[in-house]
Amino acid sequence: MFLRQLDLTTALRPSFFKDETLLFVQAGVGLYEGKYKIPDYQDGSAYLTSHRVCYVANAQPRKFSVAIDLKDIERTEFYAGFLKSSPKITLFPKPPKSTQQAIRNPAPKHALPSDTLISPTRSSPRPLSQSPGPLRDGNATWICPICGLSNGIPANFDPYTANEFTPLLPCQACGIKPSLVHINKAAIAAMSNRSSGAVFGSLGQARGSEIPYGNGLEQGETNSTRRNPCPRCTFKNHRSLHTCEMCGASLTTSSQQQQLMAVERPDSPGPTLDTSIVGNDTIETIKFSFREGGVSTFLDRLKTALVQRKWLLQSAPPVPQPVNSNNGGLLTGSEHPSRSGTPQRVVGIAGLERRGAELRQNNQAVIGTAFEDLEALMTSAKEVIAMAEQFAKQNNTDSGVSPEARDILTDSASALGLVTTRDMLGSGSASETLYITELSRNLAEFLTDDRRGVLRKEGGIMSLVDLWAVFNRLRNGIELISPLDFEKAAIMWDSLNLPIRLRRFKSGLLVVQERSRTDEKTIAALVAWLKQPQNNDWPQATGLSDNQFGRGATAQEAAERFGWSVGVATEELEMAEETGALCRDQCLDGTRFWQNLFATASKEIKSMQTKDEMGFDELKRELPN
Amino acid sequence: MSIAAAEASVASPHTPSIQSTSPLTTNTTQSGFAFPTYTSFPPFYTLQPNVTTRAHQLDLWSSLVTTYCAYHRLFRISLSSPPADLFANRSINRSLKPSSIRDVLDHMASPAGGQKIEWLSTTAKGEQKDSCYVLWKSANEWAEEIHAWVDETGQKGTVLTVYELRESDAVSGKDWRDMDEGLLRRVLNVLVKRGKAQIFGQEESAGVKFF
Repeated sequence: MFLRQLDLTTALRPSFFKDETLLFVQAGVGLYEGKYKIPDYQDGSAYLTSHRVCYVANAQPRKFSVAIDLKDIERTEFYAGFLKSSPKITLFPKPPKSTQQAIRNPAPKHALPSDTLISPTRSSPRPLSQSPGPLRDGNATWICPICGLSNGIPANFDPYTANEFTPLLPCQACGIKPSLVHINKAAIAAMSNRSSGAVFGSLGQARGSEIPYGNGLEQGETNSTRRNPCPRCTFKNHRSLHTCEMCGASLTTSSQQQQLMAVERPDSPGPTLDTSIVGNDTIETIKFSFREGGVSTFLDRLKTALVQRKWLLQSAPPVPQPVNSNNGGLLTGSEHPSRSGTPQRVVGIAGLERRGAELRQNNQAVIGTAFEDLEALMTSAKEVIAMAEQFAKQNNTDSGVSPEARDILTDSASALGLVTTRDMLGSGSASETLYITELSRNLAEFLTDDRRGVLRKEGGIMSLVDLWAVFNRLRNGIELISPLDFEKAAIMWDSLNLPIRLRRFKSGLLVVQERSRTDEKTIAALVAWLKQPQNNDWPQATGLSDNQFGRGATAQEAAERFGWSVGVATEELEMAEETGALCRDQCLDGTRFWQNLFATASKEIKSMQTKDEMGFDELKRELPN
Repeated sequence: MSIAAAEASVASPHTPSIQSTSPLTTNTTQSGFAFPTYTSFPPFYTLQPNVTTRAHQLDLWSSLVTTYCAYHRLFRISLSSPPADLFANRSINRSLKPSSIRDVLDHMASPAGGQKIEWLSTTAKGEQKDSCYVLWKSANEWAEEIHAWVDETGQKGTVLTVYELRESDAVSGKDWRDMDEGLLRRVLNVLVKRGKAQIFGQEESAGVKFF
């Protein structure tokens, strides 16, 4: 089940999970299974999200769209392209569950040599912050900025849950404590190296020890004579060693992995592929071929996403917050019992004040670390957004903003994840159109979103200018859209087959409405309404039977009846008049529109006239005197 | 409504029978003319901007003007003093604007409108046309009718004055009695062209000889 069926939104974009964010979009992408192109999956867009890689075909997107969960990806491979061959990114799936579970067995069974050096780590109890998710390369190091020694990063250090209270060990040579950001960077760098090269240590080692259980194919491998160079110190180790004799680094290399993969591949899957690639278990590799560029950015972001593992955050326990802010910087193992054992309880006003002070301090710390480095900002994005949301709420309760505006503003944090921004897309000539396309889809999604019901509130139709204002307001001052881009995006709706359409009234007014709402339907609704007997408050109607002609309505009344704005109502009525369904009655109190009865009346007259001509002599005799 | 229609048919025996039974009939005025229902339709008094609708509307107006004039035996309409109840409906407080009246009449004068009216040529240049003949029967029809009457009454070869044709007792039951003099001349000219009549004398004392 490497490739999964993909749910699309109304705007034909992948529908995201909760917490899932869009990282990158690239158009002009084709899919390969192994060496062969997959039919029907050759022209589409690749969406990279924090959880998945999605492919959405341009033609028949609902049928030919697939997603690959990032968690199923074992590693990626990059092919830069050659002459007419496009650059490609190959995604290798993780082995099937049965073997995977065996491999996933706990941490290294044998102590790494480096562990002996970092004895304090082992002797101290594991910090609370250990999250079940990220397993990391055992040989990740950070280089001390003072003396330049490569120190190992503690195995329990997780860059995504680490905060300023996570205990950090000083450099083993000079004893200077590193900054959190420094270690964070080093850890992330180590992860990304791993993801492109070797798998994480534990997995590699486990696999090494379970060769017979693996795929059986490895047995035929006869490279035991080959020597394994260490990726860190380049010392050539014996093949059977899993860690470097010199520096203790893990020796499972990418070359080995590739050989492994190469052997696993069957000779040829045949030129034509099974059409049902979705849910197919036998897929070995999926290649994304980038025919219109953007591969490098895609790869960068993909690697980052694979390292960040956002999908784990969802199930991860919340970041442990220190009970006592006095513990500030370093928490050594010995402090743990005291912390959990005797929580300080302060009650009364002092307690409240204390809580407030703690909260402020905490916020300050989060903001301080977040803005220290952009990379670090990325890691603490979740908290920052949460905080921003909270601030927005506080502001709103203070000032007298209308409730609608408040709703929209508080929505803004969720909107941050939804909206495509320019920097999500690569540079180049194609990116401009891609940006417009994405914006167009964004807009369509925004309009069809039932929770907001933007269109519904406006009676199913709203002017483009109004939409522009609402949409930009929702962006909360970030990445505002220029009117030009906005119009371009709106014009794209038609070519993208989205459920929204842009209409130009003959006065030039541009409005937005659902595609299903055609003129015919509008006219039918108008006529049905005008057919109803008119109100009795129309004083001149005396002497006429009430429903003889239905009723006359001004644009104002129509606007009230259908929830349109007056401008839209005028345009709709005139459109209906244009088609001949309505006619107008200009009088002192304005223009009223009526159902058009001229056609039927003149038809009756015509038929009468023909009768007249037939019975002309008769009539002539009837006319007396 | 049905009572009104019944009354209308009783009160105005002149109206064509088809009209009185038609669902369009309504609103009998004091003069006895039964205005069609559509004259109570407010948009009727606004010239429609939509071309198709406007064409229908003009047809209705054309029909109304001719039946109205036929009923009242009006041969000539003047724009400066049009018949009060023709272009206005007091009960719904609507009336056709003078410029729109001109548009309606222009349409009726055009070949597309069936040439139901004929503008009188103006005396001075640049002056707007003000009056028109309403041809609720075309000039040819009139000519034939008059000729048939002359034939029936055996007056071929005799000379009749224009006065006699218009006002004498002999024509009292005929449609063309009291016909506008100018229009009558036009009708007679049709007969002259066909070689069925000859006009003698000038203006007031003109005489017509039928063949």
